[in-house]
Amino acid sequence: MKTTDDSPYRAKIQQTEIKTQRPDHAMPVKQEQDDWQPAHAQQTGLSAKWWVLLSGAACFVGFSVFEAIAFIDTHFATAPVSTSILAVLLSAFVGSLCWLTGSEYRGYRRVNTFLEKRPVKAELVGLSQPEQVIKQLDNYAAYFSAGSYAERCYRRFKSMRQADHSVDDLLNLYQQYVVVPVRKKANEVIKKEAMASGSMAFISPNHLIQTLLLLWISVRTIKRVSQVYGLRPATTGNWKLMKILAQNLAAQSLFDLATDEMTNQLSGSLAAKLVENSAEAVAASALNVRLGKALVKLLDDPSEDKKLGDYR
Amino acid sequence: MRKLIDAILTPAKQARTLGANQWQRWFLQSEHRFTITGLSRSGKSMLFTSLMTVLKYRSEEQYQCLPLLRYLPMELVDQMWLEPLNDLPMFPVEQHIEDLAAGQWPPATESVAGFKLIVRLRQAHQLKRYLLPYTDVVFEFIDYPGEWLSDLPMLGKTYTQWSDSAWAQQMNAPQQRYAKSWHDCVNAFDFEQPPTPGNVQQLVNAYRRYLQEAKSKGISMLQPGSFLIPGSGFDFTQQGFTPLPSRISSDVASPWTQCFTQHFEAFKHQWLEKLKKDTFRQTDKQIILVDLFEGLNHSRSHLYQLRETLSHLADTFVYGNENWFKRHVLQQQGIAKVAFVATKADLVPVGQRDALLSLLKDVTRGATARFKDGEVQFEHFLVSAIQATDEGSHDNALRYMNDEGRYMEAEFEALPPDLKSMPEDEHYPVLPAAVPPDYLARMLNGKGLDRLLQFLLEK
Repeated sequence: MKTTDDSPYRAKIQQTEIKTQRPDHAMPVKQEQDDWQPAHAQQTGLSAKWWVLLSGAACFVGFSVFEAIAFIDTHFATAPVSTSILAVLLSAFVGSLCWLTGSEYRGYRRVNTFLEKRPVKAELVGLSQPEQVIKQLDNYAAYFSAGSYAERCYRRFKSMRQADHSVDDLLNLYQQYVVVPVRKKANEVIKKEAMASGSMAFISPNHLIQTLLLLWISVRTIKRVSQVYGLRPATTGNWKLMKILAQNLAAQSLFDLATDEMTNQLSGSLAAKLVENSAEAVAASALNVRLGKALVKLLDDPSEDKKLGDYR
Repeated sequence: MRKLIDAILTPAKQARTLGANQWQRWFLQSEHRFTITGLSRSGKSMLFTSLMTVLKYRSEEQYQCLPLLRYLPMELVDQMWLEPLNDLPMFPVEQHIEDLAAGQWPPATESVAGFKLIVRLRQAHQLKRYLLPYTDVVFEFIDYPGEWLSDLPMLGKTYTQWSDSAWAQQMNAPQQRYAKSWHDCVNAFDFEQPPTPGNVQQLVNAYRRYLQEAKSKGISMLQPGSFLIPGSGFDFTQQGFTPLPSRISSDVASPWTQCFTQHFEAFKHQWLEKLKKDTFRQTDKQIILVDLFEGLNHSRSHLYQLRETLSHLADTFVYGNENWFKRHVLQQQGIAKVAFVATKADLVPVGQRDALLSLLKDVTRGATARFKDGEVQFEHFLVSAIQATDEGSHDNALRYMNDEGRYMEAEFEALPPDLKSMPEDEHYPVLPAAVPPDYLARMLNGKGLDRLLQFLLEK
């Protein structure tokens, strides 16, 4: 098509030659492989909790040794090296304990801030300018921990944004590339943890060990699901979750009583024990799923219509 | 014996193959047949080239193109391939890519071509994965010269009706400006002569010169457009016709009227009916491409003429609800979704795109008024199949490399949001943007295709 330079009409476009170099367009970003794993899989070395346990154990051993030595050699002043080592171990234990307490407090604060800053779709829809939506989403995304799945999804969402996208387009894009994949990944993690919880319950020899394992898996579930959402909470996380955790433990104990009674009524055979363990495993899995779902509900947008995610 | 066994088994094998194909069609394929309706120069070929390239790079190379296209999620796309569509020649996508690589825009389409694009999606549902492991989304596209499209409204007319309406159009602006030589020729012509092949040819040649002149000046409603393309399936040198002044066309006893009526009917039956059946087959979704720049480049009256053309074209297709009962039991199929698309949207700066969309709505007003209330879902889109321009120094400016290799900044005054706001003595010259060397990246960064496909594919 040619321009009508010889047109009798007044041109409403003014053109000037510029000396700037024409910019080259980059190819769009490529889709990344979905190989994200919770941080535990990549973690090397010992975590803080292990340090506390180990240093405590070391103290225990150290004091025991010290007491033994004191028993043998009642002359306390004659063992300066041992007393020095014990003093160092004790200091490490106390120091680690203080650090853990501090990080638990920070984690608790972080969960609350994360929930307060969470964008609500119902409110975002009401915004008139795409820039306002981007600003709110960017503010929220700033709280995603580095390397989390949510952060990764958000990076992808950012690469997809285009200047001509409207508010609706941006929200649909956010839904498609952040909300839905994060929720899907969280559900995958919950399923995996539920399986682990059930297996542990099945093989645990007694109720005390079973309760401890359930507690451990539940805490781990909270941590891993939170990591998917870009949150790195401390063990205590949020009191709402701890409440669910306590309810789960109580429910598991009640279930143990019920299965024990059932086994007694039936017989003490191996088959009865197998049935009892299987039932407890199923219950443990279900309770873990309950915990995970509660966490997802807490971290998800409360105004979210989940059908929107079901785009096929 | 072997022959006997073969004779028994062959029909059974065929039935089994047919059964498998039918099963596949019923349960594993989701067919989307699009009619892409675009007048000459509306950018159909470039749109097809871009669409095929973008989908290919999206599914095979995992480039994050078409972000708003939720219907074909990237993680579920297994593969994509092309198949020929019936007996039509294959759309020359490789040739068009080579043209772009050589710095040339794809040439104007002068013959029909088609292709079937199949995107295979993996099944996401756990249980369905075993029963229906995949879904094929099948797109059917046909590219054709835009000139043929403007001939379709002639199917519903007699020769006299067509001649009178064509003559009336030539008497109005903007066609009137380019019809003077043709009118002089008709006025000087002696219609008392018999319509010998030589005399007919003389008139047809003069009429074709008018059509060619008007086409080069941005007129879209030119009938018969098929006379402009030598490769069309109708021999206008043997059975040509032209509109006649009403004093001749109203005289049914005139040998000229009789001759042209005969040729006109032959044109309809031998060419147009076949064309409509093979090329403009009835589908359920339609994309109407509109080149607003052709009108903006010339004058307001060109845009009015474009509106009239689109309105006439809407009469040619059957629109209606796509419910299951009508389609499968009553065997009635109408176009239920229509997308009006202003192509080459990158030739307008970001700050003027809202006005361009508003202008598109105004230009298509006549066509949308013909859709029955609620039965046809329609939407307007701005699309750039390739991002040939760059951002300017402000919202109402853009930059582009012109065909002389100079990098230009074009500053736009406000575009009219509707036809009545456009002053009669002003125009917006089309920017002669050259093919950028990084054409592939710019095709993959094209705008609006995802929104358009999502609208057409979503339930």
